[in-house]
Amino acid sequence: MNNFSFFMGGRALYCLISLGFLLSFSTVLAKNHSRQSNVLSQQHKVQGTVTDGTNPLPGVTISIKNKKNNPVISDYSGQFSINSSSYDTLVVSYIGFKTTLVPIQGRLVVDIVLSYDTTTLQEVRINAGYYSVKESERTGSIARITSKDIETQPVINLLATMQGRMAGVSITQTTGVPGGGFDIKIRGQNSLRTDANAPLYIIDGVPYSSDPIGYNQTASTYPTVTSPLNSINPDTIESIEVLKDADATAIYGSRGANGVVLITTKKGKAGKTSFTVNASSGAGTVTKFMKLMNTEQYLAMRRQAFVNDGLNTYGAADYDINGTWDQNRYTDWQKELLGGTSVLHDIQGTLSGGSEHTQFLLSGNYHQETTVFPGDFLYKKGGLQANLNHHSENNKFRVTFSAGYNSQNNDLPAFDLTSEARALPPNAPALYKPDGSLNWENNTWSNPLRNLYAKFESKTKDLIANTVLSYELATGLTLKSSFGYTDLSTIETRTAPSTVSNPELNVSSATSAIYFNTTNRSSWIAEPQLHYETKLRSGKLGVLLGSTFQNQTTTKLFESGSGFSSNSLIYNLAAASNVKVLLNDETLYKYQAFFGRVNYNYLERYILNLTARRDGSSRFGPGNQFANFGAVGAAWLFSKEDFLRNTSWLSFGKIRGSYGTTGNDQIGDYQFLNTYTTSTTSYSNTAGLQPTRLFNANFGWETNKKLELAMELGFLQDRIFTTAAWYQNRSSNQLTGVPLAGTTGFTVLNSNLDATVENTGFEFTLRTVNFNGANFNWTTSLNLTFARNILLRFPGLESSAYNQQYRIGEPLNIELRYQYKGINPQTGVYDFVDLNNDGIISFPDDKQIVTDLNPTYFGGLQNQLGYHNWKLDFLLQFVKQKNTTYPMGFAGQMSNQPARMVESWTTPGDNSTYQVYTTSANAGAITADYLYYQSDAFITDASYIRLKNIALSYEIPLSTKQTQCKIMLQGQNLLTFTKYEDGDPEFTSSGYLPPLKVLTAGIQLTF
Amino acid sequence: MKTTLPPYVHLLRLPFFLFWFVSCDSFVEVDLPKSQLNNESVFETNATATAALTDIYAKIRDKGLLTGISSGLSNQLGNYTDELICYGNPANATYNFYNNILLASNSSVSDYWNTTYNQIYAANSILEGTANSTDLTEEHKKLLQGEALFIRALLHFYLVNLYGDVPYITQTDYKINSVVSRMPTEKVYEKIISDLEKAVLLLPETYTSSLRIRPNQLAARALLARVYLYNNSFAEASNEASALINQNAVYTLTQKTDDVFLLGSKETIWQLQSATATQNTKEGTTFIFVAGPPSLTSLTPALVHSFSSTDLRKTSWIKTVTKGTSTWYHAYKYKERLVSTASKEYSIVLRLGEQYLIRAEARAQQGDLIGAKEDLNIIRHRAGLSDTTAESKEEILDAVLQERKWEFFTEYGHRFFDLKRFDKLDSALSGIKAGWQTTDQLFPIPQTELSVNPNLRPQNPGY
Repeated sequence: MNNFSFFMGGRALYCLISLGFLLSFSTVLAKNHSRQSNVLSQQHKVQGTVTDGTNPLPGVTISIKNKKNNPVISDYSGQFSINSSSYDTLVVSYIGFKTTLVPIQGRLVVDIVLSYDTTTLQEVRINAGYYSVKESERTGSIARITSKDIETQPVINLLATMQGRMAGVSITQTTGVPGGGFDIKIRGQNSLRTDANAPLYIIDGVPYSSDPIGYNQTASTYPTVTSPLNSINPDTIESIEVLKDADATAIYGSRGANGVVLITTKKGKAGKTSFTVNASSGAGTVTKFMKLMNTEQYLAMRRQAFVNDGLNTYGAADYDINGTWDQNRYTDWQKELLGGTSVLHDIQGTLSGGSEHTQFLLSGNYHQETTVFPGDFLYKKGGLQANLNHHSENNKFRVTFSAGYNSQNNDLPAFDLTSEARALPPNAPALYKPDGSLNWENNTWSNPLRNLYAKFESKTKDLIANTVLSYELATGLTLKSSFGYTDLSTIETRTAPSTVSNPELNVSSATSAIYFNTTNRSSWIAEPQLHYETKLRSGKLGVLLGSTFQNQTTTKLFESGSGFSSNSLIYNLAAASNVKVLLNDETLYKYQAFFGRVNYNYLERYILNLTARRDGSSRFGPGNQFANFGAVGAAWLFSKEDFLRNTSWLSFGKIRGSYGTTGNDQIGDYQFLNTYTTSTTSYSNTAGLQPTRLFNANFGWETNKKLELAMELGFLQDRIFTTAAWYQNRSSNQLTGVPLAGTTGFTVLNSNLDATVENTGFEFTLRTVNFNGANFNWTTSLNLTFARNILLRFPGLESSAYNQQYRIGEPLNIELRYQYKGINPQTGVYDFVDLNNDGIISFPDDKQIVTDLNPTYFGGLQNQLGYHNWKLDFLLQFVKQKNTTYPMGFAGQMSNQPARMVESWTTPGDNSTYQVYTTSANAGAITADYLYYQSDAFITDASYIRLKNIALSYEIPLSTKQTQCKIMLQGQNLLTFTKYEDGDPEFTSSGYLPPLKVLTAGIQLTF
Repeated sequence: MKTTLPPYVHLLRLPFFLFWFVSCDSFVEVDLPKSQLNNESVFETNATATAALTDIYAKIRDKGLLTGISSGLSNQLGNYTDELICYGNPANATYNFYNNILLASNSSVSDYWNTTYNQIYAANSILEGTANSTDLTEEHKKLLQGEALFIRALLHFYLVNLYGDVPYITQTDYKINSVVSRMPTEKVYEKIISDLEKAVLLLPETYTSSLRIRPNQLAARALLARVYLYNNSFAEASNEASALINQNAVYTLTQKTDDVFLLGSKETIWQLQSATATQNTKEGTTFIFVAGPPSLTSLTPALVHSFSSTDLRKTSWIKTVTKGTSTWYHAYKYKERLVSTASKEYSIVLRLGEQYLIRAEARAQQGDLIGAKEDLNIIRHRAGLSDTTAESKEEILDAVLQERKWEFFTEYGHRFFDLKRFDKLDSALSGIKAGWQTTDQLFPIPQTELSVNPNLRPQNPGY
């Protein structure tokens, strides 16, 4: 400790840990070690500001060269003051910037401009979960975004912030309504069970269950039941790391198969107490509507359908053409029902500061947004985040405490209006009567606005807290333990009031109903760990041992009430004449593990990383609960070898690889038990009992073997930096609900299937610093992923329940389709290839054309430009994929159709694109239409390039450095380029609102 | 040269010690969730075993073939034939029935199939659970097994009439049930009859419930009468129907047509209790509408106009709704659409009226024309009609078919099954249903089912 340079380095180390970074510049200082200043000096107080040329830099370490006095750290506005002698030299260092030596030369005020050092990005410490690793020395595959990337995006979902920014991570938004969900796949689908491909989420060390908290009877507005991930507030996130390969994920054992998403929240920073306020407002609209028929085209279609069917009179219920409705009316229902503007407001404040030993951060935020639907619907989200760090005088004891509390309040119509907006006849009646009441047009239609009376409301509260205590028992040996707690509660309701019916029908509130979902989930985790670091021969050895105890309890109460004396009492279950408890359950998930890591770094060139975990899960029956997982990773930093050390063009070169196993236990709780469950109804005054499932007590872990090889290269001081990674993941012993014939009484059985799924891919990233001047800088980042998913092995596929779902050598989510041939010019109906030549188009023999809806490649291209006080950041996201066209039912019925359907067959000999219209009498045409939807003709190119995000900011030059003011303009999904005709190309299930394009303007003030 | 091991080597040994420690730990053992009960313990007490059995009735009431909601046979087959008009749009499940455009992928078709086999599984689970139970008394076992056999026979009866050859499932083992083949229709009937005969032996003569909500021995015989009739075993059908008709202390036709479907009706043989003490039937909710045009279905004018103007059933079982110059009709057998202070009506699955018409038909088929007319006239008289004018066997059979149309409209698809038995589906429906095809007499086997169990192939003709 009395080594001078080490002392200096040690101090700096502390400062940077508090920022979440680590930097050692002992080598920088060691060079000057022998030189002693013998200039006669006098006490001198130097003040100044550190900037990057435009913005002040907080947290910069300023020390005096060759002196033992305490270094200081610049405060939030970049200001510092330090005692020195007049002719000392300041050593100014900050992560991501070149360490600069500034001679004082007798000045009292020294303003310092640091220049970016691209090389030092290699020095950033990456969070790998139980340990952190220097970017240059990591052996695993870890993608990362930081608060800088998150801040520019006007989004409220964690997964939205990652979209298009990470190689190997494919994210799709499933609905544009606030509170809706996202699909995420990290390196493809590993499990045959489609709902068992979620990654593991860890927030500050605490696992956060992403299992749905919704109930399909309440969350009917979303395509999938409510996900808890909306509770995480992106504003509070400092960084997101995604662990992909075996080296990084094997330490998470059974839960690492689908990758791990590590979320690190913002931490307090030492220095002057600062207060930052961000406020923004904006508007969102639907990205793209479908092109549908207008009234003239639509009525022509309807009339032709009657002609085609040989019908001379219109039916009593054919209101659109039998004269009941005005045939000159035209309403663009998409514009009318989905064309509104969602108004967003967002405000957030952060207070941060602290001393050398103790730092704190407190932040609060509030967000609200309306929907694009008519009516007053509002989504509100507010939260608090607190963080406290402390370490003892001697640095041996450390404690970190973080807690986040978020509350969401969502108010939406119970049903998404999208499918109705697309299907309504364009001459359907007016929504309102002249007196302002809903128009039911003499009970000839279901006014779409009736849906606004049926509401979905949800209130979610979520607490995540964790504490990490550590104590250095001896040099290099640290005992550490983290304790985490999560508590989530959600109450969802969906109402079905009598007001959704035409009042003329005299439907009274006695038919009104409400559904309740009350779900609570709490978990605790304790993870005692032992870390040991030492020098061994010419290298460094790091050892980590730890264990996990986790307990998660979920309680669910689903209820319904019906029959109210008044609709205003509908939220009062006590006022319902009939109350039913649909589910009342408490499930327990217990999990235990022991894990370890041994890392040896020889000469900072050869690195070996071994990780292992033994897992036990309550989700498996006795005898199947435990399994072992492990991985080996290695890296060679060849650029540090002597033969390359002095190469001017190559600044960094590394080859790394890893191989190992991870597992998957996402099968749900208690599935191995043979039980009866309480049923929701009673009969003969007895509450019923029903068989729960077909049981199989012998299913066990799904295992996933991952192999990766990668190369990382930096050229010209890393101004050009590129990584290329190839991976191969094989999932076997598939844990799945095997579809069974309904004759078994159930349709699935949980078991392990001797099948192997392989995901291979190539991930490429490139970052170039195009300009790096004092006034202008420009950085470009590209990520690109080519991925392929195949079913490698499936013994007995032919005779299994999956024989019409999978094909060996093809992806898991293929669809087997009929082969479209064209229109039969005589009958006018779609014709298909009769593969088995039996004269009829039948399932399954003729439905054998493999169509693959996986993206062929996807990625993002980001540009960051800075010019004086201006900053521009934009991200182009691109996906090469196919998707289905939008299903609208057969043309000719009382339902609108895409405008392209005007090209229909009418008379024998016609060579048209679409088949004959029918009102429903032409059974052949209806069957052909159904086959068409299941044919390859229904698949189309849905590739797109999207301006995912654009953010422009301007820092207002103020005379005082104490206060900063920044104005920002941010946009999301502003432009989309695609050949896809049926609305937005990004969707996984039809009939739901597409992602919105959002534009916001905001201001940031820092005091 | 030997040296002592450095300390980290000891550290590396720690994992192996801990692995051993962890494996022995019972931390990851969990108790049963609070909503579940072990299979064996269900059959340890009569109360829980009975709860497992009666839950099947609740399931039959709430979903699948016999439910009164719009997805049940009463509504869907009424639309499929000539009883009902559908006002739905293509997104509405009934629309596909009304237009006779069911496809193998239709979810109603697979729901019927899966739900029914699930209910059959529950019945088989009762049979196996009671057989293995050492705690239940013989008396309790007989009752539970008799009812489970009744349920199993009842559900297979509807399946075979809708889908043609179907597997007859008699145990819960999925390894066997997942690869079953279709059983020829006559074999299925043999199994149904055998199950019902066993049920008759096991079930008590009296009801175990005051409201006739659990079948007794006579309910099993009533179903047996119908099964024999469908199977052309006319002597047996006549015999079983007589067993019911002769029990006139228990069963009598109500005097008034208005009272047939009331809760205390002595015509009831077996009915499904409503879910709560204030609820009435789902049929009431499904069929009754108070203002036109109807949002789901209405009775076809052809059916309404086929009644004689003096037929009491026309006035008491049908209600007219008018608006301006338009008129619609709905079934009004069950009068209660919503809740009442106490339930007034339950859904009646088996009633005495059917037994008279079963015997009339069976007698006519056996040449007992006088007896047949007697039975037929009993039903006609109750409806305020005079004696039938039918004389020959053919005329009497036609009259029975006609009477069944008036007596059983919108009840559990009687109309469809009758037309099918009489081989008159095409002649009755071709003229009035544009989408009707001869092959529509059988539903398609669900597509998912054919794909997971190739032994069920081939698909029914026409799909």
